[in-house]
Amino acid sequence: MKNNVKIERTLKGLTQQGLAEIIGVSRQSIVAIEQGKYVPSTVLALKLARCFDKNVDDVFELEEND
Amino acid sequence: MKSLVLLPNGFKKVGWILLALSVLMWSFHLIWDWEPSWMEFKTWSILNSQFLGESSWMSFKSQNMFITVVAVIFIIGGLVVGFSKEKVEDEFITTLRLNSLMWAVLVGYLVLVFLYLTVYGLAFLNVLAYQMFAILLLFIFRFHYLLYKHNSKG
Repeated sequence: MKNNVKIERTLKGLTQQGLAEIIGVSRQSIVAIEQGKYVPSTVLALKLARCFDKNVDDVFELEEND
Repeated sequence: MKSLVLLPNGFKKVGWILLALSVLMWSFHLIWDWEPSWMEFKTWSILNSQFLGESSWMSFKSQNMFITVVAVIFIIGGLVVGFSKEKVEDEFITTLRLNSLMWAVLVGYLVLVFLYLTVYGLAFLNVLAYQMFAILLLFIFRFHYLLYKHNSKG
Protein backbone atom coordinates (compact mmCIF):
# COMPACT_ATOMS: atom_id res chain seq x y z
CA MET A 1 0.00 0.00 0.00
CA LYS A 2 1.30 3.43 -0.95
CA ASN A 3 0.79 6.49 1.18
CA ASN A 4 1.63 10.15 1.10
CA VAL A 5 1.82 10.72 4.84
CA LYS A 6 5.23 12.35 4.47
CA ILE A 7 3.94 14.87 1.90
CA GLU A 8 0.80 15.67 3.90
CA ARG A 9 2.83 16.03 7.09
CA THR A 10 5.28 18.40 5.39
CA LEU A 11 2.38 20.43 3.94
CA LYS A 12 1.04 20.77 7.49
CA GLY A 13 4.47 21.88 8.68
CA LEU A 14 4.71 19.06 11.19
CA THR A 15 7.72 17.06 12.29
CA GLN A 16 7.46 13.28 12.70
CA GLN A 17 7.51 13.77 16.46
CA GLY A 18 4.84 16.49 16.25
CA LEU A 19 2.53 14.33 14.14
CA ALA A 20 3.12 11.36 16.45
CA GLU A 21 2.12 13.45 19.46
CA ILE A 22 -1.07 14.73 17.80
CA ILE A 23 -2.14 11.22 16.79
CA GLY A 24 -0.99 9.66 20.07
CA VAL A 25 1.47 7.15 18.64
CA SER A 26 5.24 6.65 18.80
CA ARG A 27 7.63 8.42 16.44
CA GLN A 28 8.73 4.97 15.27
CA SER A 29 5.22 4.36 13.92
CA ILE A 30 5.30 7.51 11.79
CA VAL A 31 8.79 6.64 10.49
CA ALA A 32 7.70 3.10 9.58
CA ILE A 33 4.46 4.24 7.91
CA GLU A 34 6.24 6.92 5.87
CA GLN A 35 8.81 4.38 4.72
CA GLY A 36 6.04 1.99 3.70
CA LYS A 37 7.32 -0.62 6.18
CA TYR A 38 4.16 -0.68 8.24
CA VAL A 39 0.53 -0.68 7.15
CA PRO A 40 -1.46 1.01 9.92
CA SER A 41 -4.75 -0.26 11.31
CA THR A 42 -7.99 1.28 10.07
CA VAL A 43 -8.24 3.32 13.27
CA LEU A 44 -4.78 4.80 12.84
CA ALA A 45 -5.34 5.45 9.11
CA LEU A 46 -8.57 7.31 9.94
CA LYS A 47 -6.81 9.36 12.61
CA LEU A 48 -4.01 10.32 10.20
CA ALA A 49 -6.49 11.30 7.49
CA ARG A 50 -8.50 13.37 9.95
CA CYS A 51 -5.35 15.16 11.10
CA PHE A 52 -4.64 16.13 7.47
CA ASP A 53 -8.32 17.08 6.84
CA LYS A 54 -8.44 14.45 4.08
CA ASN A 55 -10.27 11.22 3.32
CA VAL A 56 -8.39 7.97 3.95
CA ASP A 57 -8.40 7.37 0.17
CA ASP A 58 -6.49 10.61 -0.36
CA VAL A 59 -3.72 9.55 2.03
CA PHE A 60 -3.55 5.78 1.44
CA GLU A 61 -3.71 4.02 -1.90
CA LEU A 62 -3.88 0.32 -2.75
CA GLU A 63 -1.19 -1.07 -5.04
CA GLU A 64 -1.66 -3.76 -7.68
CA ASN A 65 -0.24 -6.56 -5.52
CA ASP A 66 -2.37 -5.69 -2.46
CA MET B 1 -5.05 -3.64 17.52
CA LYS B 2 -5.81 -4.54 21.09
CA SER B 3 -2.71 -3.86 23.15
CA LEU B 4 -1.06 -6.61 25.16
CA VAL B 5 -1.25 -6.86 28.94
CA LEU B 6 2.02 -5.23 29.99
CA LEU B 7 3.56 -3.65 33.06
CA PRO B 8 3.65 0.17 33.27
CA ASN B 9 6.69 1.86 31.68
CA GLY B 10 8.21 2.72 35.07
CA PHE B 11 8.93 -0.96 35.71
CA LYS B 12 11.35 -1.12 32.79
CA LYS B 13 14.08 0.70 34.70
CA VAL B 14 13.64 -1.73 37.61
CA GLY B 15 14.00 -4.62 35.15
CA TRP B 16 17.27 -3.25 33.74
CA ILE B 17 18.64 -2.79 37.28
CA LEU B 18 17.76 -6.39 38.18
CA LEU B 19 19.33 -7.65 34.96
CA ALA B 20 22.53 -5.65 35.55
CA LEU B 21 22.69 -6.78 39.18
CA SER B 22 22.37 -10.45 38.25
CA VAL B 23 25.01 -10.17 35.50
CA LEU B 24 27.35 -8.49 37.99
CA MET B 25 26.77 -11.21 40.61
CA TRP B 26 27.25 -13.92 37.98
CA SER B 27 30.52 -12.30 36.84
CA PHE B 28 31.82 -12.22 40.43
CA HIS B 29 30.99 -15.90 40.69
CA LEU B 30 32.73 -16.77 37.43
CA ILE B 31 35.87 -14.69 38.03
CA TRP B 32 36.43 -15.06 41.78
CA ASP B 33 34.26 -18.11 42.45
CA TRP B 34 32.23 -15.85 44.74
CA GLU B 35 29.53 -17.77 46.58
CA PRO B 36 28.82 -16.12 49.96
CA SER B 37 28.46 -18.61 52.78
CA TRP B 38 25.55 -16.69 54.32
CA MET B 39 23.51 -17.76 51.34
CA GLU B 40 23.68 -21.36 52.46
CA PHE B 41 20.45 -22.36 54.11
CA LYS B 42 17.89 -25.09 54.25
CA THR B 43 15.50 -25.00 51.35
CA TRP B 44 12.54 -27.06 50.26
CA SER B 45 12.70 -28.92 46.98
CA ILE B 46 10.26 -30.96 44.96
CA LEU B 47 13.10 -33.20 43.79
CA ASN B 48 16.70 -33.26 44.95
CA SER B 49 18.97 -35.77 43.24
CA GLN B 50 22.63 -35.95 44.17
CA PHE B 51 25.44 -37.00 41.85
CA LEU B 52 25.83 -40.78 42.36
CA GLY B 53 23.46 -40.48 45.30
CA GLU B 54 19.86 -41.00 46.12
CA SER B 55 17.00 -38.82 45.06
CA SER B 56 14.67 -37.34 47.58
CA TRP B 57 11.22 -35.99 46.91
CA MET B 58 9.57 -33.13 48.81
CA SER B 59 12.44 -32.67 51.23
CA PHE B 60 14.42 -29.96 53.00
CA LYS B 61 18.14 -29.81 52.30
CA SER B 62 20.87 -27.32 53.10
CA GLN B 63 22.53 -25.83 50.02
CA ASN B 64 24.06 -22.61 48.77
CA MET B 65 21.33 -20.63 47.04
CA PHE B 66 23.59 -18.04 45.39
CA ILE B 67 23.36 -19.32 41.80
CA THR B 68 19.63 -19.98 42.20
CA VAL B 69 19.04 -16.42 43.40
CA VAL B 70 21.17 -14.97 40.57
CA ALA B 71 19.22 -16.97 37.98
CA VAL B 72 15.85 -15.95 39.46
CA ILE B 73 16.86 -12.25 39.54
CA PHE B 74 18.05 -12.51 35.94
CA ILE B 75 14.83 -14.13 34.72
CA ILE B 76 12.55 -11.73 36.61
CA GLY B 77 14.62 -8.74 35.39
CA GLY B 78 14.49 -10.03 31.81
CA LEU B 79 10.74 -10.61 31.94
CA VAL B 80 10.13 -7.14 33.40
CA VAL B 81 12.28 -5.49 30.69
CA GLY B 82 10.63 -7.51 27.94
CA PHE B 83 7.08 -7.05 29.17
CA SER B 84 6.98 -3.42 30.30
CA LYS B 85 5.33 -0.79 28.16
CA GLU B 86 7.38 1.67 26.14
CA LYS B 87 6.78 5.38 26.86
CA VAL B 88 4.33 5.38 23.96
CA GLU B 89 2.98 1.87 23.48
CA ASP B 90 1.01 1.75 20.24
CA GLU B 91 0.02 -0.82 17.62
CA PHE B 92 3.34 -0.59 15.78
CA ILE B 93 5.34 -1.17 18.96
CA THR B 94 3.07 -4.15 19.72
CA THR B 95 3.82 -5.53 16.25
CA LEU B 96 7.57 -5.07 16.84
CA ARG B 97 7.25 -6.80 20.22
CA LEU B 98 5.42 -9.82 18.82
CA ASN B 99 7.72 -10.07 15.79
CA SER B 100 10.75 -9.99 18.10
CA LEU B 101 9.28 -12.76 20.22
CA MET B 102 8.69 -14.91 17.14
CA TRP B 103 12.20 -14.18 15.86
CA ALA B 104 13.71 -15.07 19.26
CA VAL B 105 11.89 -18.42 19.45
CA LEU B 106 12.90 -19.34 15.90
CA VAL B 107 16.56 -18.26 16.15
CA GLY B 108 16.90 -19.59 19.72
CA TYR B 109 15.71 -23.06 18.77
CA LEU B 110 17.66 -23.20 15.50
CA VAL B 111 20.86 -22.45 17.44
CA LEU B 112 19.81 -25.02 20.04
CA VAL B 113 19.37 -27.73 17.38
CA PHE B 114 22.83 -26.88 16.05
CA LEU B 115 24.32 -27.08 19.57
CA TYR B 116 22.53 -30.37 20.31
CA LEU B 117 24.10 -31.86 17.19
CA THR B 118 27.60 -30.55 17.79
CA VAL B 119 28.29 -30.37 21.55
CA TYR B 120 28.80 -33.50 23.65
CA GLY B 121 30.12 -34.51 27.05
CA LEU B 122 30.44 -32.14 29.99
CA ALA B 123 30.43 -29.14 27.65
CA PHE B 124 26.78 -29.99 27.02
CA LEU B 125 26.00 -28.42 30.42
CA ASN B 126 26.79 -25.08 28.75
CA VAL B 127 24.16 -25.84 26.12
CA LEU B 128 21.61 -26.42 28.88
CA ALA B 129 22.60 -23.10 30.45
CA TYR B 130 22.19 -21.42 27.05
CA GLN B 131 18.76 -23.00 26.68
CA MET B 132 17.57 -21.48 29.96
CA PHE B 133 18.20 -17.87 29.04
CA ALA B 134 18.56 -17.68 25.25
CA ILE B 135 14.96 -17.00 24.20
CA LEU B 136 14.50 -14.21 26.75
CA LEU B 137 17.84 -12.59 25.89
CA LEU B 138 17.29 -12.85 22.13
CA PHE B 139 13.81 -11.35 22.52
CA ILE B 140 15.08 -8.37 24.53
CA PHE B 141 17.99 -7.83 22.14
CA ARG B 142 15.86 -8.06 18.98
CA PHE B 143 13.06 -5.84 20.30
CA HIS B 144 15.42 -3.06 21.34
CA TYR B 145 17.40 -3.35 18.12
CA LEU B 146 14.17 -2.88 16.10
CA LEU B 147 13.12 0.07 18.31
CA TYR B 148 16.51 1.68 17.77
CA LYS B 149 16.46 0.97 14.03
CA HIS B 150 13.06 2.55 13.53
CA ASN B 151 13.88 5.47 15.78
CA SER B 152 17.11 6.41 14.06
CA LYS B 153 15.80 6.31 10.51
CA GLY B 154 13.80 9.29 9.61
